[in-house]
Amino acid sequence: MDIKITKEDNKTFVAIDGRIDTTTVNQFQEAANELMGDEHPDIDIDCTALSYTSSQGLRTFLMLQKSVMKHGGKMVLRNMNPQVKEVFDITGFSNIITIV
Amino acid sequence: MKKRFNPIKDKSSEIIEYLMSSPDIPDDDELQFKLRLSIEEAVENVVRYAYDGGIGWLEADIHFDQNALLLTIELRDAGTPFNPLEKGDPDVSQGAEEREVGGLGIFLCKKMMDSIKYRYEDGNNVLTMTKKVNS
Repeated sequence: MDIKITKEDNKTFVAIDGRIDTTTVNQFQEAANELMGDEHPDIDIDCTALSYTSSQGLRTFLMLQKSVMKHGGKMVLRNMNPQVKEVFDITGFSNIITIV
Repeated sequence: MKKRFNPIKDKSSEIIEYLMSSPDIPDDDELQFKLRLSIEEAVENVVRYAYDGGIGWLEADIHFDQNALLLTIELRDAGTPFNPLEKGDPDVSQGAEEREVGGLGIFLCKKMMDSIKYRYEDGNNVLTMTKKVNS
Protein backbone atom coordinates (compact mmCIF):
# COMPACT_ATOMS: atom_id res chain seq x y z
CA MET A 1 0.00 0.00 0.00
CA ASP A 2 1.12 3.51 -0.79
CA ILE A 3 -0.13 6.70 0.90
CA LYS A 4 0.61 10.11 -0.57
CA ILE A 5 0.01 13.21 1.53
CA THR A 6 0.01 16.71 0.04
CA LYS A 7 -0.71 19.90 1.96
CA GLU A 8 -2.21 23.02 0.43
CA ASP A 9 -3.29 26.05 2.48
CA ASN A 10 -5.98 24.74 4.83
CA LYS A 11 -6.45 21.37 3.24
CA THR A 12 -4.62 18.08 3.30
CA PHE A 13 -4.92 15.81 0.26
CA VAL A 14 -4.40 12.10 0.76
CA ALA A 15 -4.27 9.38 -1.90
CA ILE A 16 -4.38 5.74 -0.86
CA ASP A 17 -3.19 3.07 -3.28
CA GLY A 18 -3.65 -0.61 -2.42
CA ARG A 19 -5.23 -2.63 0.37
CA ILE A 20 -5.76 -1.64 3.99
CA ASP A 21 -5.53 -5.02 5.69
CA THR A 22 -3.80 -6.74 8.56
CA THR A 23 -0.35 -6.18 7.02
CA THR A 24 -0.79 -2.52 6.07
CA VAL A 25 -3.11 -1.13 8.73
CA ASN A 26 -0.24 0.05 10.94
CA GLN A 27 1.14 2.09 8.05
CA PHE A 28 -2.31 3.65 7.54
CA GLN A 29 -2.65 4.28 11.27
CA GLU A 30 0.73 6.05 11.36
CA ALA A 31 -0.28 8.29 8.45
CA ALA A 32 -3.59 9.01 10.22
CA ASN A 33 -1.78 9.88 13.46
CA GLU A 34 0.25 12.42 11.55
CA LEU A 35 -2.93 13.97 10.09
CA MET A 36 -4.65 14.04 13.49
CA GLY A 37 -1.90 16.21 14.90
CA ASP A 38 -2.18 18.61 11.98
CA GLU A 39 -3.25 22.25 12.24
CA HIS A 40 -5.03 22.09 8.87
CA PRO A 41 -8.17 20.17 9.73
CA ASP A 42 -9.77 19.67 6.30
CA ILE A 43 -8.87 16.31 4.78
CA ASP A 44 -9.64 15.17 1.24
CA ILE A 45 -8.96 11.49 0.61
CA ASP A 46 -8.77 10.05 -2.89
CA CYS A 47 -9.89 6.41 -2.72
CA THR A 48 -9.71 5.68 -6.46
CA ALA A 49 -6.92 3.14 -5.96
CA LEU A 50 -8.08 1.86 -2.55
CA SER A 51 -8.96 -1.72 -3.45
CA TYR A 52 -9.90 -3.15 -0.05
CA THR A 53 -10.36 -2.32 3.60
CA SER A 54 -10.96 -4.56 6.60
CA SER A 55 -12.61 -3.48 9.85
CA GLN A 56 -9.21 -2.35 11.09
CA GLY A 57 -9.10 0.21 8.29
CA LEU A 58 -12.63 1.36 9.15
CA ARG A 59 -11.52 1.85 12.73
CA THR A 60 -8.79 4.26 11.60
CA PHE A 61 -11.17 6.14 9.28
CA LEU A 62 -13.53 6.60 12.24
CA MET A 63 -10.73 7.91 14.46
CA LEU A 64 -9.76 10.37 11.72
CA GLN A 65 -13.37 11.50 11.36
CA LYS A 66 -13.70 12.08 15.11
CA SER A 67 -10.46 14.04 15.16
CA VAL A 68 -11.49 16.19 12.19
CA MET A 69 -14.86 16.97 13.81
CA LYS A 70 -13.15 17.90 17.07
CA HIS A 71 -10.96 20.41 15.23
CA GLY A 72 -13.90 21.90 13.31
CA GLY A 73 -12.76 20.55 9.96
CA LYS A 74 -14.31 18.45 7.22
CA MET A 75 -13.24 15.11 5.80
CA VAL A 76 -14.27 13.82 2.38
CA LEU A 77 -13.60 10.43 0.80
CA ARG A 78 -13.68 10.44 -3.00
CA ASN A 79 -14.09 7.92 -5.83
CA MET A 80 -14.49 4.84 -3.68
CA ASN A 81 -14.87 1.59 -5.64
CA PRO A 82 -18.27 -0.12 -5.23
CA GLN A 83 -17.00 -2.96 -3.05
CA VAL A 84 -15.19 -0.73 -0.61
CA LYS A 85 -18.29 1.50 -0.60
CA GLU A 86 -20.40 -1.54 0.30
CA VAL A 87 -18.25 -2.11 3.41
CA PHE A 88 -18.86 1.52 4.43
CA ASP A 89 -22.61 1.13 3.71
CA ILE A 90 -23.11 -2.15 5.59
CA THR A 91 -21.39 -0.84 8.70
CA GLY A 92 -23.25 2.48 8.64
CA PHE A 93 -19.98 4.35 8.11
CA SER A 94 -21.46 6.02 5.01
CA ASN A 95 -23.76 7.94 7.37
CA ILE A 96 -20.89 9.08 9.56
CA ILE A 97 -18.29 9.87 6.91
CA THR A 98 -18.85 12.02 3.83
CA ILE A 99 -18.34 9.96 0.68
CA VAL A 100 -18.63 11.64 -2.71
CA MET B 1 -7.22 -28.30 1.79
CA LYS B 2 -6.27 -28.02 5.40
CA LYS B 3 -3.27 -26.75 7.33
CA ARG B 4 -2.39 -26.25 10.96
CA PHE B 5 -0.46 -23.11 11.85
CA ASN B 6 1.48 -23.14 15.11
CA PRO B 7 2.21 -20.75 16.73
CA ILE B 8 -0.07 -18.16 15.16
CA LYS B 9 1.39 -14.97 16.61
CA ASP B 10 1.94 -12.50 13.72
CA LYS B 11 0.78 -15.16 11.23
CA SER B 12 -2.56 -13.59 10.18
CA SER B 13 -1.32 -12.67 6.74
CA GLU B 14 0.19 -16.12 6.10
CA ILE B 15 -3.06 -17.86 7.13
CA ILE B 16 -5.22 -15.52 5.02
CA GLU B 17 -3.01 -16.01 1.94
CA TYR B 18 -3.02 -19.79 2.45
CA LEU B 19 -6.84 -19.85 2.29
CA MET B 20 -7.05 -17.32 -0.56
CA SER B 21 -4.55 -19.35 -2.62
CA SER B 22 -6.85 -22.38 -2.61
CA PRO B 23 -7.98 -23.58 -6.06
CA ASP B 24 -11.48 -23.61 -4.54
CA ILE B 25 -11.53 -19.81 -4.42
CA PRO B 26 -13.58 -18.72 -7.45
CA ASP B 27 -12.08 -16.52 -10.15
CA ASP B 28 -14.44 -13.65 -9.43
CA ASP B 29 -13.19 -10.34 -8.05
CA GLU B 30 -16.40 -9.46 -6.24
CA LEU B 31 -16.62 -12.83 -4.54
CA GLN B 32 -12.91 -12.80 -3.71
CA PHE B 33 -13.33 -9.44 -1.99
CA LYS B 34 -16.12 -10.83 0.22
CA LEU B 35 -14.21 -14.03 0.99
CA ARG B 36 -10.96 -12.21 1.76
CA LEU B 37 -12.75 -9.83 4.10
CA SER B 38 -14.56 -12.63 5.94
CA ILE B 39 -11.40 -14.72 6.19
CA GLU B 40 -9.34 -11.79 7.45
CA GLU B 41 -11.88 -10.82 10.12
CA ALA B 42 -12.32 -14.41 11.33
CA VAL B 43 -8.59 -15.21 11.35
CA GLU B 44 -7.74 -11.96 13.12
CA ASN B 45 -10.26 -12.79 15.81
CA VAL B 46 -8.42 -16.02 16.61
CA VAL B 47 -4.89 -14.64 16.24
CA ARG B 48 -5.61 -11.66 18.47
CA TYR B 49 -7.89 -13.08 21.12
CA ALA B 50 -7.93 -16.89 21.30
CA TYR B 51 -4.61 -17.37 23.08
CA ASP B 52 -2.62 -15.30 25.52
CA GLY B 53 0.15 -13.77 23.43
CA GLY B 54 -0.81 -15.73 20.32
CA ILE B 55 0.95 -18.88 21.53
CA GLY B 56 -1.26 -21.64 20.18
CA TRP B 57 -2.48 -23.18 16.94
CA LEU B 58 -5.12 -22.53 14.33
CA GLU B 59 -6.28 -25.06 11.76
CA ALA B 60 -7.55 -23.54 8.53
CA ASP B 61 -9.69 -25.66 6.24
CA ILE B 62 -11.29 -24.75 2.93
CA HIS B 63 -13.30 -27.02 0.66
CA PHE B 64 -15.82 -26.81 -2.14
CA ASP B 65 -18.84 -29.07 -2.51
CA GLN B 66 -19.34 -29.37 -6.27
CA ASN B 67 -22.88 -30.72 -5.99
CA ALA B 68 -24.15 -28.07 -3.63
CA LEU B 69 -21.83 -25.40 -5.15
CA LEU B 70 -20.99 -24.50 -1.59
CA LEU B 71 -17.65 -23.15 -0.45
CA THR B 72 -16.90 -23.85 3.22
CA ILE B 73 -14.18 -22.26 5.32
CA GLU B 74 -13.56 -23.66 8.76
CA LEU B 75 -11.27 -22.31 11.47
CA ARG B 76 -10.43 -24.39 14.52
CA ASP B 77 -8.41 -23.40 17.59
CA ALA B 78 -7.84 -24.66 21.13
CA GLY B 79 -7.94 -21.24 22.75
CA THR B 80 -10.30 -19.80 25.33
CA PRO B 81 -13.85 -20.97 24.59
CA PHE B 82 -15.50 -18.05 22.83
CA ASN B 83 -18.59 -17.82 20.67
CA PRO B 84 -18.16 -14.66 18.57
CA LEU B 85 -21.77 -14.93 17.35
CA GLU B 86 -23.16 -14.33 20.83
CA LYS B 87 -22.06 -10.73 20.76
CA GLY B 88 -24.83 -8.47 19.48
CA ASP B 89 -24.47 -6.62 16.19
CA PRO B 90 -23.13 -3.06 16.40
CA ASP B 91 -25.67 -0.23 16.14
CA VAL B 92 -24.93 0.96 12.61
CA SER B 93 -27.26 3.94 12.94
CA GLN B 94 -25.12 5.72 15.54
CA GLY B 95 -23.31 8.95 14.73
CA ALA B 96 -19.54 9.32 14.74
CA GLU B 97 -19.42 10.62 18.30
CA GLU B 98 -21.25 7.65 19.85
CA ARG B 99 -19.77 5.06 17.55
CA GLU B 100 -17.31 2.66 19.15
CA VAL B 101 -14.15 1.77 17.29
CA GLY B 102 -14.30 -1.97 16.95
CA GLY B 103 -16.79 -4.83 17.12
CA LEU B 104 -17.28 -4.81 13.35
CA GLY B 105 -15.27 -7.86 12.31
CA ILE B 106 -17.73 -10.71 12.88
CA PHE B 107 -20.59 -8.44 11.81
CA LEU B 108 -18.89 -8.08 8.40
CA CYS B 109 -18.43 -11.87 8.17
CA LYS B 110 -22.15 -12.32 8.77
CA LYS B 111 -22.98 -9.84 6.02
CA MET B 112 -20.47 -11.12 3.47
CA MET B 113 -21.04 -14.86 3.88
CA ASP B 114 -24.28 -16.86 3.48
CA SER B 115 -23.95 -18.59 6.82
CA ILE B 116 -21.67 -18.50 9.84
CA LYS B 117 -21.83 -21.01 12.66
CA TYR B 118 -19.91 -21.65 15.85
CA ARG B 119 -19.53 -24.82 17.88
CA TYR B 120 -17.33 -25.93 20.76
CA GLU B 121 -16.09 -29.44 20.06
CA ASP B 122 -13.45 -31.62 21.75
CA GLY B 123 -12.00 -28.58 23.52
CA ASN B 124 -11.83 -26.56 20.29
CA ASN B 125 -13.56 -23.45 19.02
CA VAL B 126 -14.84 -24.19 15.51
CA LEU B 127 -16.11 -21.41 13.26
CA THR B 128 -17.69 -22.48 9.96
CA MET B 129 -18.56 -20.04 7.20
CA THR B 130 -20.21 -20.92 3.90
CA LYS B 131 -20.80 -19.15 0.63
CA LYS B 132 -22.79 -20.31 -2.37
CA VAL B 133 -20.72 -20.09 -5.54
CA ASN B 134 -22.64 -20.08 -8.81
CA SER B 135 -20.04 -21.04 -11.35
